[in-house]
Amino acid sequence: MKYAIKKIITMLFTLLLISFLVFLAFNVIPGDPATAKLGTQATPEKVEALRHQMGLDRPFFVRYFEWLGGAVTFQFGTSYSYNMSVIQLIGSKLPVTLMLAFLSFIMMTVIAIPVGIYAAKHEGSKIDRFITVVNQGIMAIPPFFSGILITLLFGLILRFFKPGGYVGFDKSFWGCLYYLLFPAFAIALPKAAMTIKLLRSSLLSEAKKDYVRTAYSRGNSTTAVLYNHVLKNSMISVTTFLAMTLTDMIAGSVIMEQVFSVPGIGRILITSISGRDYPVVMAIILLLAFLVILVNLISDIVCHILDPRIRQEV
Amino acid sequence: MANTNMGKTITAKAQNKKAFGLKLKIFKDKKTNFYVGLGITAFFLLITIVGYFWTPYNPNAMDVDAKYSAMSFTHLFGCDNFGRDIFSRVVSGLGTTFFVGLGTVLIGGLVGIIIGAICGYFGGLVDEIGMRIMDALYAFPSLLLALVFVSLLGSGKYQVIIALGIAFIPSFSRIVRAEYMRCRDLDYVKSARLFGASHFRVIFVHILPNITPVLVSSAIIGFNNAVLAEAGLSFLGIGVQPPDASLGEMLSSAQSFLFSTPWYALCPGIVMIIMILGVSLMAEGVE
Repeated sequence: MKYAIKKIITMLFTLLLISFLVFLAFNVIPGDPATAKLGTQATPEKVEALRHQMGLDRPFFVRYFEWLGGAVTFQFGTSYSYNMSVIQLIGSKLPVTLMLAFLSFIMMTVIAIPVGIYAAKHEGSKIDRFITVVNQGIMAIPPFFSGILITLLFGLILRFFKPGGYVGFDKSFWGCLYYLLFPAFAIALPKAAMTIKLLRSSLLSEAKKDYVRTAYSRGNSTTAVLYNHVLKNSMISVTTFLAMTLTDMIAGSVIMEQVFSVPGIGRILITSISGRDYPVVMAIILLLAFLVILVNLISDIVCHILDPRIRQEV
Repeated sequence: MANTNMGKTITAKAQNKKAFGLKLKIFKDKKTNFYVGLGITAFFLLITIVGYFWTPYNPNAMDVDAKYSAMSFTHLFGCDNFGRDIFSRVVSGLGTTFFVGLGTVLIGGLVGIIIGAICGYFGGLVDEIGMRIMDALYAFPSLLLALVFVSLLGSGKYQVIIALGIAFIPSFSRIVRAEYMRCRDLDYVKSARLFGASHFRVIFVHILPNITPVLVSSAIIGFNNAVLAEAGLSFLGIGVQPPDASLGEMLSSAQSFLFSTPWYALCPGIVMIIMILGVSLMAEGVE
């Protein structure tokens, strides 16, 4: 409990630091939002008036704390290019991205853990070698290219889904879920390959330790040793890795949303970056940073619960 | 105490990530892996250098009659929706890819070495502060970091190099730091100090050459990751900008013609996979 509180306080400080850095970075870059909004032809008086109206003529720290205060209550201001509040813009897209990341995470775990355990259990067999080779191949494919290949195979040749035909959440929940299965698969596949590799080698290195021999000598079967002893011990490194994968998946969904034209956070982020719509970019970056830190926090706490050795050191 | 613990978890993460970077092992023998990888990479490098001076067609020239034409001897990889020769575009795209990859490794590597060396060699408070910042950066997926820097710097070839270079500093600096921590108490470092060598000299003249193998291997892996990241950014339309050809940008425009002209997407994609495979094999062999 004490550990969790300490971690949460560290997390809040990190977030505060990130929010400051983000605000600072987007305020020192050249280019004035007021000029950008009015065009280069605008008179200096007009630009000055708009700057005043947008609150850009006030001191840096005043603006930072105002922005931070807004961020805490999810008020990130108004988007420059959409003329709607940032939270409205993001709020409707966030569930899509989170669902995509969640789906791919589930898919990855469902594929990777049984296959990894199987490969380790049958080390050196033909199937194990086949899994290793396929794994290596999958890891060399750039993620967006695997997305394109999946669109080509499942969308255009097998016609399981209509590329670009995303159905909204509100229209049909199952239709939406079905469409998201394909981008989720594209995100999950390379990550599953990495997890299989890690789980296999982690299981095998655990299996060489003394306690395994002891467990065998007490008359345990291979299955019992594997599930009760080895798996438990190798889960710690796998958990840390899974947490990293989840954060990678949130980033990966930015690309997959583009490939499968899913209207999520990633698409908004890309259009806002190209359109220099800074309030939206800042809000999304802060949001993603929050998600990344949250996932790392949860994984640290889970490791702490899983492994009594880490618990004692604190 | 909580801090040391956090440090440990993060180190464990780093090891995972390092061990699971793009490294492939197809052949059992390390030497074979290396030579096959070197062969593939050298082949692509040669094509890129030749492509710098001569390509079968002008990569940007449009031929209306050749629109959507399939793979043939006149157009090796076929033509795209504007009638541009895909092979010539792939070759000039490879040039951009190599340039961005090398630039990224150079920036990320140089700054990473300096930060890692100072943190690892001196330790103490400098190390604590430097590594805390690097750890915080390291927790973020590098694509996300690159996106942040691209949104700050704008898009284009040089901006992408700077953005990716900065995004790659943390991973380089942690590897270098670990090596310096290992080396700083070794006998040859102590005797160099006894002979009156300055810290600067010990760091760059005595220790640096000794950690070259690690540096080379991580530079190769970094190059691969940079190639992938550049392709990703260009695919999203915020990386390398036209008229510069880039494999990622080609894949992104090929998407709309996936059904009618599948080779438009497949050719650049497969070229990229083979190149990554080659570089990965080389990385495996170098160790």
